[in-house]
Amino acid sequence: MKNVSRRRFLATTAAGTALLRAPALATAQAAELVMLGIWPFTGPFADVGPLLDRGMRLAIEEWGNKVLGRPIKYITRDSETKASAATRRMEEAIDSEGVKIVVGPWSSGVALACTEVSKRRKVFYYFSGGTEDIAGKRCHRYAFNWAASPYTAMHVVIDNYMKLNPTHKRWYLFVNDYAFGWSVEKYTREAGQRYGIEFAADRMPLGTREYSGFVSKAAAFKPDVLCLLNAGQDVIVSIREAHNFGLAPKVAIVNSWGIGTEDFLQLDPKTRENLWVGTNAYYGANTPVAKKMTEMYQAKYNAPPGYAPCAAYGMTRLTLRAIEKAKSAEPADIVRALENWETQDWPGRVWVNPKTHQTVRDYFLLRCKKSDQMKHQFDFADIVAVSGQPLMPDTINECKDIGAL
Amino acid sequence: MNLALLGGAVLNGLVTGMLYALMGVGLSLILGLLNIPNFAHGVLYAIGAYVLVSASKAFGFLGGAVAALAVVAVLGALIEWGGVRRLYRVHPDYILLLTFGLSLILTEAIILVWGPVGITFQPPALLAGAVDLGVTTYPKYRLLVMVVTGALVLACYLFVTRTRWGAIIRAGIEDKDMAAALGINIRRVFTLTFAAGTGLAGLGGALMAPVRGLLPTMGLDILPFAFVVVVLGGLGSLPGAILAGLLVGVVQSLMTAIWAPGADASVFALMTLGIIARPQGLLGQR
Repeated sequence: MKNVSRRRFLATTAAGTALLRAPALATAQAAELVMLGIWPFTGPFADVGPLLDRGMRLAIEEWGNKVLGRPIKYITRDSETKASAATRRMEEAIDSEGVKIVVGPWSSGVALACTEVSKRRKVFYYFSGGTEDIAGKRCHRYAFNWAASPYTAMHVVIDNYMKLNPTHKRWYLFVNDYAFGWSVEKYTREAGQRYGIEFAADRMPLGTREYSGFVSKAAAFKPDVLCLLNAGQDVIVSIREAHNFGLAPKVAIVNSWGIGTEDFLQLDPKTRENLWVGTNAYYGANTPVAKKMTEMYQAKYNAPPGYAPCAAYGMTRLTLRAIEKAKSAEPADIVRALENWETQDWPGRVWVNPKTHQTVRDYFLLRCKKSDQMKHQFDFADIVAVSGQPLMPDTINECKDIGAL
Repeated sequence: MNLALLGGAVLNGLVTGMLYALMGVGLSLILGLLNIPNFAHGVLYAIGAYVLVSASKAFGFLGGAVAALAVVAVLGALIEWGGVRRLYRVHPDYILLLTFGLSLILTEAIILVWGPVGITFQPPALLAGAVDLGVTTYPKYRLLVMVVTGALVLACYLFVTRTRWGAIIRAGIEDKDMAAALGINIRRVFTLTFAAGTGLAGLGGALMAPVRGLLPTMGLDILPFAFVVVVLGGLGSLPGAILAGLLVGVVQSLMTAIWAPGADASVFALMTLGIIARPQGLLGQR
C-alpha cells in the first residue's frame, strides 16, 4: 500500500470535497414547449430545491401537461446556489433543449446572474425572492418578480408587529450577507424609523451553521426582538440557538422573510413559541387558488405547502395563464400578456406593474401558536395580517427604464 | 469586546473545537493506519445524528447516543470489510473514490429513510436551558458536549498511547508490514480501527444533533473542517488533531465575534499559514 503524502492528501481532499458538492443533473422527457425549473438541488438551499420542483410540477400537471394544445416538456437544472453553475446550466438548457421559459432559482444572488442571461438570450424569466433589484435597478422586459417587494413586505411585518408590541424598540438583526439580506435589511431599517426602533446587526454568510457566537452578541445587546433576515437552514439554526441560549422565547423572534410551513415542520412547538414569521405564502391563505393548491399538494405529499412550493406553483401558473391569454408561448408575447395584468391568482388579487415587472400582491405576517392552541398537527400559526400596502414609491424604485423587447 | 462576549466566544470555540477534534481523531486514526482520506466520514457523522433521533424514542437520549456509536461503528466495519479491504493492493485513489461514492449513496439513503426536510431534536429535559457562569450565560447541553467530547478525545489519546491495543495501532501506523511479520493480525486491526474512527464520527453527530439539528447534507458542513484539522495537526497524529481541533474552533469563534463574514475564511487562512510555517503539521511527522 502506498503512503499518502500531505500534498497529495490536500489535493485529493480539496477535489473530493468540491465534487461532493457537485450537482445531480435531472432532465425530463422529450416534448414540445420546454419549461426550465432552475432549482437548488445542492448547496445551501438543497432542502428547498425538491419543494420548488414539486410546486412547478403540480402547476403543469394541473394544466394536463399541455398548454395551447402543445405538450409541456418540464426540465430541471441544479442551480447549486452558485451564480456560475446556474447561468452555465441555464445557457446549456437554452442551447440544447430550446428553453424559452425559465422559472427560479431561489437565491437572490443567483437570480441576479440568471436575469442577465434572460435579458441577453431574450428568454422569459420568473423569479420569486427578496432582492429588490430584479424589479429594480437590474430590471428588464423579460424578467418578473413574483414575491412581494421587500419594501412592502418589511413594512407589513414591522407596521403590524409594532401595532401589537409598541414597546419593542430594540431589534437585533441577523442578516445573510448577500443581495437578499441587503434588500430586506435596508427596508427593515427604513420601516423601523417611524417607530424609533434601535437596531444592531450582524452579517453572516449564507450557509452559516454556527450561530452561537451571534446569539451571544445578540443577548449582550438585550434586544426586545431578534429579527432574522437570513434564509434556508440559517433560519432554523439561529432559532434553535436562540432557544438553547435562553434568549427565546423570552425575546420575540421575527423571521421577516420566512418560508413558513417547511420551517415550522423542522421546529418543534417549543421552539416556535413567540415566533413571528413574515412570508409570501401560507397555506391558510383565504383565496380560491391557494385553497385548491393546498388540497392538491396535501393529497400528494401529506403535508401542506410552504412558501417554496407555493411560489413555484404560483409563478408557473401565472406563466401558463399568460401563455393562454397571449395565445402564444413566445417570450415577448408572454411578457406583453403579463404586463399591467390585474387578475386573481394564488395570493388573491395580483397586478403586474408594467414599469418594474413587480407582481404587486399581499404579504402575510404569521404568529406561531403554542402547542395547546394547535387544532391539528399543521395548525402552526395565526395569520396576524395580510396586506399589500404600502407600495414601494416610484421615487425609491431604481427601475427607471425597463427597456425594449 | 466585553468580557461576557469574549467568554462566550471562547466557550463556543471550545465546544466546536472539541467536536472538530473528535472528528479529526477519527479521521486521523483511519488515515494514519489505512492511508485513506475517508470522504464518507461526514455522512457517517450525519447517520449518527439520525440514529440518535430514532433510537432515543425507544432507549432515551443516552441509549440513543450509544446506539449511534454502535450502529455507525458496525457500518464502518462493514464498509472496511466489504469494500475498502478489497482495494488495499491497488492505488489509494480507488479507495478515495469508493468512500466518495459511499458518501453520496448514504446521503440519499438518509433522505429515503428520514426524508429531505430537516429535523429539530431537543436536548434531554435535564440539560435544557442555560446556566449563568458569572461571565456569561451558557447552554447546559453545550457544556456537557464540551466535557463529554473532551473526555472522549482524552480517552482515545490514552487508549492509543498507553494500552497494548494502542501500541498495535501505532505499530501499524509506523510499519504495517513489520507489524504483520510480528504476528499481528493487521487486517483485523484495520477493520477495528476503521470501526472506531467512524464510530467516533457517529457519536459526534449524535452529540451535536440537539445543537445543530439534522439535515441529510449536514455531513458536508463539517467535513471540510475535519480535513483542515487533520492537515493542520499533522497526518495521522492524534495529539495534533486534538490541538488543531481546539485551535480551529477557537479561532473560528473569536473571528465570529470580531468580524463575522471572515469566520470560515479564518479557518482556511489558519491552515494555509500552518502549511507554510510547518509543512508536516503542528505535531505530524510526514
